[in-house]
Amino acid sequence: MGDAIIIEGVTKTFGPKVAVRDMHLRVPDGGLYGFIGPNGAGKTTTIRMIMSILFPDAGRLSVLGKSSAVESKDQIGYLPEERGVYKKMRVGAFLRFMGRLKGVDGPDVDRRVRDWLERVSLADCYKKRCDELSKGMQQKVQFIASVLHEPQLIILDEPFSGLDPVNMRLLRDLILEQHNAGRTVIFSTHVMHQAEQLCDHIVMINQGAKVLDATLEEIRARHDPRTIVFEPANAAGADAVASIPGVRAVSHLGGLHEVSLEEGVNPSDVMRRIVETLPIIRVELRRPTLEDVFIEIVQRGDGVPAGVDESQLRAALRDGAAQTAGAAQ
Amino acid sequence: MIAKVVAVAWREFSSTVLTKAFVIGAFIIPGLAAAAIPLIVKFTNQAKAPVLAGTVAVIDHSGSLADRIREQLSPEGLARQAAEGSAEIQKHLAELGGGDVSNYMNDPMVQGMIAQAFGQPPNLSVEVLPAETEPESVQSRLKPVEADKPDALLALAVIAPDAVDKAEGAEEFGGYQLFVRGKTDDRNIDHIRTGVRRAILDKRYAEAGVDGKQLSALTTVASGRPQEITDSGEARSSTAELNIMLPFGFMILLMMSVMVGGQYLLTTTIEEKSSRVVEVLLSAVSPMQLMTGKIIGQMVVGLVLLSVYASVGAATLSAFALLDLLSIDKIIFMLIYFVLAYFIIASLMAAIGSSVNELREAQSLMGPVMMVIMLPYFFWLPISRDPNSTLSLVLSMTPPMSPFAMMVRITSTEPPPMWQILLSIGLTAAAAYLCVWLAAKVFRVGLLMYGKPPNFKTLIRWVRMA
Repeated sequence: MGDAIIIEGVTKTFGPKVAVRDMHLRVPDGGLYGFIGPNGAGKTTTIRMIMSILFPDAGRLSVLGKSSAVESKDQIGYLPEERGVYKKMRVGAFLRFMGRLKGVDGPDVDRRVRDWLERVSLADCYKKRCDELSKGMQQKVQFIASVLHEPQLIILDEPFSGLDPVNMRLLRDLILEQHNAGRTVIFSTHVMHQAEQLCDHIVMINQGAKVLDATLEEIRARHDPRTIVFEPANAAGADAVASIPGVRAVSHLGGLHEVSLEEGVNPSDVMRRIVETLPIIRVELRRPTLEDVFIEIVQRGDGVPAGVDESQLRAALRDGAAQTAGAAQ
Repeated sequence: MIAKVVAVAWREFSSTVLTKAFVIGAFIIPGLAAAAIPLIVKFTNQAKAPVLAGTVAVIDHSGSLADRIREQLSPEGLARQAAEGSAEIQKHLAELGGGDVSNYMNDPMVQGMIAQAFGQPPNLSVEVLPAETEPESVQSRLKPVEADKPDALLALAVIAPDAVDKAEGAEEFGGYQLFVRGKTDDRNIDHIRTGVRRAILDKRYAEAGVDGKQLSALTTVASGRPQEITDSGEARSSTAELNIMLPFGFMILLMMSVMVGGQYLLTTTIEEKSSRVVEVLLSAVSPMQLMTGKIIGQMVVGLVLLSVYASVGAATLSAFALLDLLSIDKIIFMLIYFVLAYFIIASLMAAIGSSVNELREAQSLMGPVMMVIMLPYFFWLPISRDPNSTLSLVLSMTPPMSPFAMMVRITSTEPPPMWQILLSIGLTAAAAYLCVWLAAKVFRVGLLMYGKPPNFKTLIRWVRMA
């Protein structure tokens, strides 16, 4: 099996800002890859270079065996982050236009458009104007536009932003279906748990550089559980936990307290000490989430900007998640 | 590849032309305006002002005009005046139009327009005041507020003592002074003035023993319309006025169709950018294909407008039997120059549209482009008057003015030699190519640039970048 995408030593700068720095990456045929990282990390720039919308300053790219995506545009489906529709165009006409641009022609286009609209429960929108649709509905229309021509490679930039939980699940199922049909799928998100739910392979990007490139199992195996979550019976005494040896920090979200541990500390020792210290309703060792892994890598690496501490980083990542949740309401 | 360009072009065309706004703006409103003109004339004719009735007071210092004034301002005198005025117009029209216009004159619309111009003759009675009356003592009866009183006056004519007999040693006759009630229709004033004037003239002719009819005959010189001799040796009425209007028509038609296409291109490009649909498009087509498709699509829009308005123009010419002013070669050159001018303007518009975020930001960049388009507008008169002057030659060779300037020259009375036309086409085509090339570079960079609208310096940097 070959590689759908090969990126070798690619660098892209915009004026003084280095958007992508010496990136190396291979995405095998049929892979389901998630690009994760905070806003402004370089995900969209990388994707735009894969799409030959931007051109790298240095390095080499290969897409579907061609040196540029220009030659294989009709085999690629792309949902950009900056996406929109023609406001005054009717949904059916817009999708047929997009299909025609992708090389699907004849009566086939219309049949596919109607099938897809049916599948995302927008069948009654065929004759509606695009600006009569909600943002979430427009997003589903745009997703259809990116898969209408049955591409071998599907690139989705932040496909879940702005969707409610029901549609998020629908989109996740559709992406998995494309993946199961043997197509290569890449998507980017800054909300890490979405990637966790869907991908088999994670590429983490921070400040223009690839900081992680592994399967989910590898990541979980490599990063020990280092977070203890407990729920005290009485919140008043919880502060005492901070003084237990080996505890680096305690933070709480609602009634739940999160304890992060110092390097080399045995988590079960600390758990025992917590139970001894105060009455507890629940205590558990939590598997590291991608968010934890990301923060660990960022803090370990030399790419940490001075003065940014863990809680700020977490807040930044959750901020994105909160926005998504807010938009869904 | 071609299929994608065609798909873009078709979307561009259909989303512009097949909209209510376009059909209304381009066809229905001008159509309604054209249809409304006869209606407006008809309504204004029907809405005749009521016949004005009133008294004209005369203070006759000459002492011999009262009867003649009374006669001239009587209903018969005023009717005669109207008939003569109408005959006068007929004569002028015949000279202008070159031929018998009696058919037109009997047309109710034309009759109506003439009636409108002269107004209804007023119903006047004349009151002769003693010669020693001071005009000031009567003037209060002319006040508009007094109009309803029984002794109200419409006008007061004060005839000078020497109106008929020259004063001792004087070269010229005296005249009269008219006072009228404020806010009186000017056409009614004209009726009174003409009446008094004729009374004075009549009396002078009689005193001098001159026959008025003979005098009028003596001072009238009939002249036909100037006849032009064409190459084929036949004589036809000179179309001197049209010699200037025809190039103007061609130029305006060219400007309008180029501008409309360019303007739509600007709007749709900005719309694609601001609605963020552009990156979706770029995943399927290259920037060059997108730009080409858009330019071609809007060119067809411009052509549709051009042909519709040109056929209206041609129909108008044929209605006046002047269709031979058009020729196939003029129309072919028109199309060539349309394409060239359009490509220059459209590529500039595409570049501008791609580099800004909204229409408002485009205004500052549009300024120079509009200047270039408007320039020939200021030059059409000098060019059409003297189509072979140095100014005409230079303008018709300098893109981007060249299409408009050369079109004026080609349709003028002295068309330029063929080599000049071909040279101008060549130079313009080179300029068009350069514009498209530059625009493609700006287009490609600009499409994905959001944020601060660029100035010309940034645009030049983008050209270097791409």
